[in-house]
Amino acid sequence: MELIWEGIKKAFILIFTGDREIFGILLLTIRVSGIAVIISMILGIPVGLVIGLNNFRGKKFIISIINTGMGLPPVAAGLFISLFLWRSGPLGFLSIMYTPTAMTIAQILIASPIISGVTLAAVQQINPKLKYQAMSLGADRWQILWILIKEAKLPTLAAIMAGFGGIISEVGAVMMVGGNIRGQTRVLTTATVQMVRMGNFDIAIALVIILLFLTFTVNLALTFIQQRENITWAQRFWR
Amino acid sequence: MGSKILEIVKLVKNYESKFKLDIDYLCAHENKILALIGPNGSGKSTIIRLANLLEKPDSGNIFFDGVQIIGSDIDKVSIRRKISVVFQEPLLFRTSVYNNILLGLSIRKQKLSDFRDSFDFLIKKLKLQKLLRRNPKSLSGGEQQRVALARALILNPRLLLLDEPLANIDQISREELQADLLDILKDTGRSTIYVTHDRDEAMILADDIAVINEGRIEQYGNKNEVFRKPVNEFVAKFIGIETLLEGTVIECENNVCKVKINKNNDNLNIDSIIFAVSDALPGTQAMLAIRPEDITLYNNEVAQELLSAMNLLTGIITDIRDTGILKKIEIDCGFKIISFVTRNSIERLELFTGKKIIAGIKASSIHLFKK
Repeated sequence: MELIWEGIKKAFILIFTGDREIFGILLLTIRVSGIAVIISMILGIPVGLVIGLNNFRGKKFIISIINTGMGLPPVAAGLFISLFLWRSGPLGFLSIMYTPTAMTIAQILIASPIISGVTLAAVQQINPKLKYQAMSLGADRWQILWILIKEAKLPTLAAIMAGFGGIISEVGAVMMVGGNIRGQTRVLTTATVQMVRMGNFDIAIALVIILLFLTFTVNLALTFIQQRENITWAQRFWR
Repeated sequence: MGSKILEIVKLVKNYESKFKLDIDYLCAHENKILALIGPNGSGKSTIIRLANLLEKPDSGNIFFDGVQIIGSDIDKVSIRRKISVVFQEPLLFRTSVYNNILLGLSIRKQKLSDFRDSFDFLIKKLKLQKLLRRNPKSLSGGEQQRVALARALILNPRLLLLDEPLANIDQISREELQADLLDILKDTGRSTIYVTHDRDEAMILADDIAVINEGRIEQYGNKNEVFRKPVNEFVAKFIGIETLLEGTVIECENNVCKVKINKNNDNLNIDSIIFAVSDALPGTQAMLAIRPEDITLYNNEVAQELLSAMNLLTGIITDIRDTGILKKIEIDCGFKIISFVTRNSIERLELFTGKKIIAGIKASSIHLFKK
């Protein structure tokens, strides 16, 4: 118990004194996962919308692949990316193995199916006749897509939260393709594993507190955006 | 008759459910309201979707302002931008009432300032002034449909397609909105195709009517013609003709035919001859359609020469039923006829089940068509 208490105390000291290394790890985590979630949104949301809003042959098969992707173990994602980026791999000439770029790519592979899958499930809940309504109002293909994205805004934010949650907490893929190199590819999760291995529980606790705070802050912001609309409407309704 | 806005020619659309739409010819005219009436599932809404190019027909043509709009090289978006549709569901988007109304304009990248007068007119006419900032979900069904109508009408479409817009609204809101809608359509001279399964609504709103059944047009023409002269039993029943009698034309003179009615109650020793205005030939197997309001009831035998009605039928009241304002009287004259009378008439004539009564019908009020 004393170990935990001491650990927490030291963790707060490290956080509030602005430890340079921890601050660097935090920034890298935000950069890697932030870029990964933004690219995953760009890839995942349109894919989810297009599949969810259209009927075509093989739709169920594609949905099954996306659903499988949603449960993709991070180590599997890490292995695939490693195979491609390894010096002798098909993309080895890029020389980005053990760099933040490789970590970002691995996280995109994890987050994109999650965002696609949740978006897809969400847009399938939209009244399909709204697409007809948008068409009959004279909307072209892109306008229809944009109108329906706005319609699925709230569930799409949930998809982003799920995608972010999936990558900020994973350790397997970033460890494999990043290598957990101090000052270069060490992020909050890999650093925590490293510190526990070394018995530096105070630093490990500090890192976990920061990780939890970061996750909480991002989700809080997204939840506020998501719920703001409903609250405003509810207030108007009961006014 | 104004110029033709939308013409449908030999249009066929098959569905896997084995339903087939097969329209030989249908035409909507400029500044006129064409009502498509028919039972649920008869294909009315399919016509709307095909006319708005939301679905593709298997064969046939649709002409919009004289130009063919079926084909792969057609710019569907630009055609749709000349047509506005209001569906049975309001289908409002997750934004304010104001934004919903202006959605079509923003899709066309047009400014509200160019449509200000139209906007103000519609908002006032459709009583939406106080609802503009509201979330559509907080509105009643009638209010939501008003928003959908404003959204469609502000676009100033060449053709307005209304697919049972009043079907899901409560009675009071429905009557109110019906009146407002009629005002707007007449004020703006809007060319409209109006789908409904309610014949009274069609009667109130339409200029022309097409009666549709199982994917086919049973009758198409001017409202009064369809309501007065149904061409077959289905149309007659659908437009509310309660008395349909089968018989044979015995003779015709000066366009007045003498028709012997097939009696279904031989116990009544009553003459089963009815006179109807028609040019049918003797021997024709005919159906006689008589509207309930065209049957007048008398307590005693009246001198034939005192009345213009050629048909005076003696019968026995077999049923009196409440239908709201009027009472429905079923009379057995050897064949069943139906009349509607007011409560006052029930009291004045002292009508009751089992009472013998005289029913007068003018020959000109009876519509005769071949069976």
